[in-house]
Amino acid sequence: MTATTAPQPTKAPLIPPSTHRYADVIHRLEAGGSMLPDTPENLQQIIGIYKAYAVPMDFYWRDLLYIAERVFLNPLPAFKYFISQEYLDRPNSYAGEQSQLRIWRGTEKAHPELLAFMERGETRRMPKLLHHLWHDRVNMEFAEACMQAMFWHQGMGGRFNDYLASDAYKANADRAIKAYFKGNPLMLGLYKLFPEMFLEQVRQLSYYANLGLFWEVMAPVFFEMSDIYDEGGFKGVPDAMNFLVNGIFAVAGRPIYHHVFIGGECFEIIPKSEGFTWLYEAALPYVEAVFYRTSPFRGTKSYNAQAGQVPADQADFHYGILYADVYPVGSAGIPPTLLMQDMLHFLPPYLQQIYRQHRRGEEDQLIQLGITFQRSMYNVTSAVIQALRCALLYPLDDTDPEHLLANRRFFEAQMDRFLRPEARLTDIHNQDYR
Amino acid sequence: MATILDTAAGAGCFNTLLAAVDAAGLRTALEGEGPFTVLAPVDEAFAALPPGTVQTLVDNPPQLARILKFHVIAGALSREVLTARPQWDSLEGAPIPIRRSEPFEVKNATVVQADIHCDNGVVHVINRVILPG
Repeated sequence: MTATTAPQPTKAPLIPPSTHRYADVIHRLEAGGSMLPDTPENLQQIIGIYKAYAVPMDFYWRDLLYIAERVFLNPLPAFKYFISQEYLDRPNSYAGEQSQLRIWRGTEKAHPELLAFMERGETRRMPKLLHHLWHDRVNMEFAEACMQAMFWHQGMGGRFNDYLASDAYKANADRAIKAYFKGNPLMLGLYKLFPEMFLEQVRQLSYYANLGLFWEVMAPVFFEMSDIYDEGGFKGVPDAMNFLVNGIFAVAGRPIYHHVFIGGECFEIIPKSEGFTWLYEAALPYVEAVFYRTSPFRGTKSYNAQAGQVPADQADFHYGILYADVYPVGSAGIPPTLLMQDMLHFLPPYLQQIYRQHRRGEEDQLIQLGITFQRSMYNVTSAVIQALRCALLYPLDDTDPEHLLANRRFFEAQMDRFLRPEARLTDIHNQDYR
Repeated sequence: MATILDTAAGAGCFNTLLAAVDAAGLRTALEGEGPFTVLAPVDEAFAALPPGTVQTLVDNPPQLARILKFHVIAGALSREVLTARPQWDSLEGAPIPIRRSEPFEVKNATVVQADIHCDNGVVHVINRVILPG
């Protein structure tokens, strides 16, 4: 006789299942998972691309701050991508011995792979100017496109944008503009004639600072994730997501500010004392502007705004990475392709191997890594969604059904954004989507 | 009666909150006449935040002050008064929703002890740090 064990009574769920089109994803989020399915290959792909992204990002944040703080209103900023040694050596606030909150165990200076690439590029060692003209360099244009998306969409939560219209901001900017063009009657005359034009340029530079300070955090986060993975530290996609959630909280209170250095003097255009934070004034607007909205990229597809093909409301824009059809977006010269090209230089060997095994092998690596990037950004967005749920709502193991329903409504509202046909949430569930 | 901060110090379970008030430079303001309504998170509420969260804020007083001001409402408001309206403006500027009256819930925190009357206001003890948004 074979002994049988009585089935364990299963605990009845406290709330009924979701009937949303993405109910499976919602239930996964409610169980502490990510929008991205938890498979070993997904984990490998997203970590590999985080590393490849972090190296150029280590240049982006440094140069964004260099432009915001030093190049400032240079009317002919031909050399704005020629970052100074000071900014290349600028200690990252979240890496190295000197950091108060050390996220990456590596060094505070520019990443060695970045420095090696800046020296040799894809071609060979030659003067910086020739690398620049040959476009054999880090594509800062991508970073500027992200900044412009934030600047153009504006008003996506936080108080940063409101402050840019305040009298205090205008007065601070005015002082900096007058100091910068001191002894330059032509530019001071133009400023007198067209003050708003100059102010608008300073506002844009404040977004350079905003994005630079945002990415200064993300680069060490991604480096550390790559190191942890290499050590066998992440057991699945949710582990990687939770690392990001904890990181978001840890640096949430980081000040977002805009300082300009003119003639050895620091002008605080946005002082730290305004209380602007990394989470509210940088991270959330960045995710909204860059992951969800952006704007149609020239040279990819024609839209007829009069026929309603472009949303009338900017909040409905859906041209970000979460909606991107990576194949046409992979056209030459447009921002996402520039990023893909940047990441291509720093792919870890295990990702190169995956790409060689699929589709057209090395021929379409840019597309394949673009889709990997899309997967990885669904994971980052999941981390943001879980962090917001954690900050504004209730724990996942809460026992109050009202609280669980509030979490449910929040998750469903987030998934509603992926109901439009352009969303790639369904595609990333298919491992053949490459 | 004692002030809000004296009361909190005497309770023994608001050590993190009191240290944060000092770090943010809000002690003088909270010792003023007010009156204020303070939603006071207990030490466990701060401890439940992911590692590094509180330290980053303590290192940056203006940012810390902003989060703390989200826990303060102008006026001495009892539970009865607070639950009569769906939301109240915090000193930070963002509104604080009153989600339930029974049990008494302020945003995503539960009030574990309400209506502690002080010289310069009222304290309601909450089990979670609340954040704007």
